[in-house]
Amino acid sequence: MTTTAARTTTYAWIVLSAITIVSWWLAPGHAHGATAVASVPITVAVIVLAFIKGRLIIQYFMEVRTAPRWLKLFTDTWLTILWAGVLAIYLY
Amino acid sequence: MGDLVAHTEQAAGEFDTAATSSVTSAEGRVHLPGDVHMWVMVLGDLTIFGAYFIIFMVFRARNPQEFLASEQHLNINIGVLNTLVLLASSWFIARSVQAARADDHARALRLTYFGGLCGVGFIAIKAYEWSAKITQGYTISSNDFFMFYYMLTGVHLFHVSLGLLILGITVRELRNPRRRRPFMVEAGATYWHMVDLLWIVIFALVYVMR
Repeated sequence: MTTTAARTTTYAWIVLSAITIVSWWLAPGHAHGATAVASVPITVAVIVLAFIKGRLIIQYFMEVRTAPRWLKLFTDTWLTILWAGVLAIYLY
Repeated sequence: MGDLVAHTEQAAGEFDTAATSSVTSAEGRVHLPGDVHMWVMVLGDLTIFGAYFIIFMVFRARNPQEFLASEQHLNINIGVLNTLVLLASSWFIARSVQAARADDHARALRLTYFGGLCGVGFIAIKAYEWSAKITQGYTISSNDFFMFYYMLTGVHLFHVSLGLLILGITVRELRNPRRRRPFMVEAGATYWHMVDLLWIVIFALVYVMR
């Protein structure tokens, strides 16, 4: 029962898990690491990756990519306002 | 069936109903997973959590050094593990919906159990993480960061529990040959993926950003 839909779901899951593992290196909470310093490039990368992850979950797991237009608009607006807001407050 | 599909396509951009939700989702076909009531709840939850995340950022911006120093005390291994467990559970649930659509209810049921098991695993890992932090002396009253850490993860944990309850309804639906309504299975999955989506944001804000 390996349909196209099933394969797409699995690809989305692999990308989501891969991004999560990459995040491990970006995070400051390592037991033996030196004191963390604020980093704009790392934080921007984290925000972009989290935006991508959120959109993958919405589009492929929640199946919004085949949903009515109002739902696509709402979820994309939510993602954009959230992460643009987080970035703006961080940089301010 | 043809009429129903035509109607669904015509309804693009409008609110879908439970009736049209029985149409199998396929490439290029407009379909609202679950029903509109579940989406109202999910979108409402996303909006409230969104406001909470912005408030977290406002507090963080007032004292970035303290937040970053506190963030370093969190165990990133646990954070990553929790994320992977929840992503795996979402994969099981998404595949369960596809199995239910293909009328393979035994498989759908099995996948839902695995998804739920991952949810229980998430709660267990979180409980371990909390108790480790409390033992190390980091409590809700330590500082603003830990207040947000316990509140955000706590409210999220409540949603995980509610998600498990909803998956229980999915199980009941799948076990009864006279029920097995696709939109019910989809609605449960929609809620479960929301729990995953919210955790992705918490993970980025509380564990990873600098």
